[in-house]
Amino acid sequence: MDTEVAAFRGVGKSYGRVRAVDGLDLVLRPGETVALLGPNGAGKSTSLDLLLGLREPDRGSVTLFGGTPRAAIAAGRVGAMLQSGGLMSDVKVRELVRLACDVHPRGRSVTGVLTDAGITELAERRVDKLSGGQEQRVRFALAIAGDNDLIVLDEPTTGMDVSVRQAFWASMRAQADAGRTVLFATHYLEEADSIADRVLVLHRGRLIADGSSAEIKARAGARRITFELHDADGQFAESLLRTLPGVQSLDVTARVPGVRTVRIRTADSDASVAGLYRAGLYPRGLEVTGVGLEQAFLTITGELDQHEAAMESAR
Amino acid sequence: MTTLITLEILRTLRNRRYLFFTVLYPALMYVFFIHAYGAAERAGGLPVKTYFMVSMATFGAVGAVLTGSAQRISLERKSGWTRQLRLTALPGRAYTVGKIAASAVTTLPSILVVFAVGASQGVSLTAAQWSGLAVALWLGSFVFAALGVALGYAAAPDAVQPIVMITYMAMALLGGTWFPVSGSLEKFARFNPVFLYNKLATFTQPGHSLDTVAVAGLAAFLAVFVVAAAALYRRDTRQA
Repeated sequence: MDTEVAAFRGVGKSYGRVRAVDGLDLVLRPGETVALLGPNGAGKSTSLDLLLGLREPDRGSVTLFGGTPRAAIAAGRVGAMLQSGGLMSDVKVRELVRLACDVHPRGRSVTGVLTDAGITELAERRVDKLSGGQEQRVRFALAIAGDNDLIVLDEPTTGMDVSVRQAFWASMRAQADAGRTVLFATHYLEEADSIADRVLVLHRGRLIADGSSAEIKARAGARRITFELHDADGQFAESLLRTLPGVQSLDVTARVPGVRTVRIRTADSDASVAGLYRAGLYPRGLEVTGVGLEQAFLTITGELDQHEAAMESAR
Repeated sequence: MTTLITLEILRTLRNRRYLFFTVLYPALMYVFFIHAYGAAERAGGLPVKTYFMVSMATFGAVGAVLTGSAQRISLERKSGWTRQLRLTALPGRAYTVGKIAASAVTTLPSILVVFAVGASQGVSLTAAQWSGLAVALWLGSFVFAALGVALGYAAAPDAVQPIVMITYMAMALLGGTWFPVSGSLEKFARFNPVFLYNKLATFTQPGHSLDTVAVAGLAAFLAVFVVAAAALYRRDTRQA
């Protein structure tokens, strides 16, 4: 099972009556950079805890490299940075990083880790005297202290200002470029969009979307096609536009006589545009624009909430 | 695991508050007590200088391990450091072993400093008695290290501080730390680990050998504390 880094199979975890994770099925493959998205309380942190063996699932199984999470950690295949992971006090950054490198079965050099995490200049500082963003970088250093196959990061850039965040993304990308599988939870959609090649959307403990950032956007009807139709180019029925493949919403305005502006939100802009021409239309000033992942994310989770509210009221 | 233990020892020794309360404070208390009692007096069948040298050494040692392990463990559970350590290849017991090892190393100065002051004040023992006493008190401190670990896993930091202080002071008060317990109090004192701990010193008196009842009692306490610590540790790992 070398092609499987991590697997969740029918995993459930409840705290009292709250279902934090509800029937999660998921496989991570080598070399992927995966973003785990979801609003607060969606079950991101619980999922990561289960993945790392910090909690036991109520139902289902979680495996890392085909074995238990603990075995994978003991073998030095996993490095992790937790939101709730504290640091040792009364020690210097270098001493703490040295500890992490020493206890790792495939530990790297302290200097290399300090450099990769961008904390060389903090090495002689006391851990308890760091700012929130600096602490995050030290946590990241602990996660990359060894030659891991998988790196798990829970909201790594929380508390960092914008410029530091950009530098941190470069550090994350460097890990991915070194062939490591990277899984990170975030609520910064820009982070997911610019780093991840696979995006998972978690909502109320369930996986509601799984695909590339572009696919997630597409699923939310996340492309907008805008063009003009001139009467001079030929007549058409507006209902024709509705039958184009992928169309989710349609808006037609006619501000100038003989010119109609069409705005389409589509799940598949390629198919919609192809259909447009196939129908014999002549769109002018055609523009296809993507909406952000943020909009896509809101659309997906919002639709689900509406759907569930409708189910509730129908009962 | 050695790196973790070394670092634990280093950071404890770096803490100035620790050094004051566990090393200097018992030594100062010792000087205060022997002058308050008068040098010629006897306490618990011993010259006061000897009696309080032992009781202040145990006072410092118990304080060192209780605050060193209980409060730090509790704080580090709250900060999430214990979680972070569970994500390393270190076995689960490494953290507690590190804490106990660090407190075991750091009890030595609190015992030896009081001994040095005692010697300078005229306590006279043979070389074998000095070293035997140091070893006995050092080994005895492990009982309290286990108690410290159990308390550290029992409650959150804001609760642990008063729990540790109350346990520590009650055990000291009724265990002969500040005055010898006698009469009816002594019956209860047999169930007080600090009392038994102080009893480890009786072999230095003429005509006495090592108090095996005290040793057995301390061994029983050690077993209880270790079982409690293990159970509380498991509860903690289940919670997160």
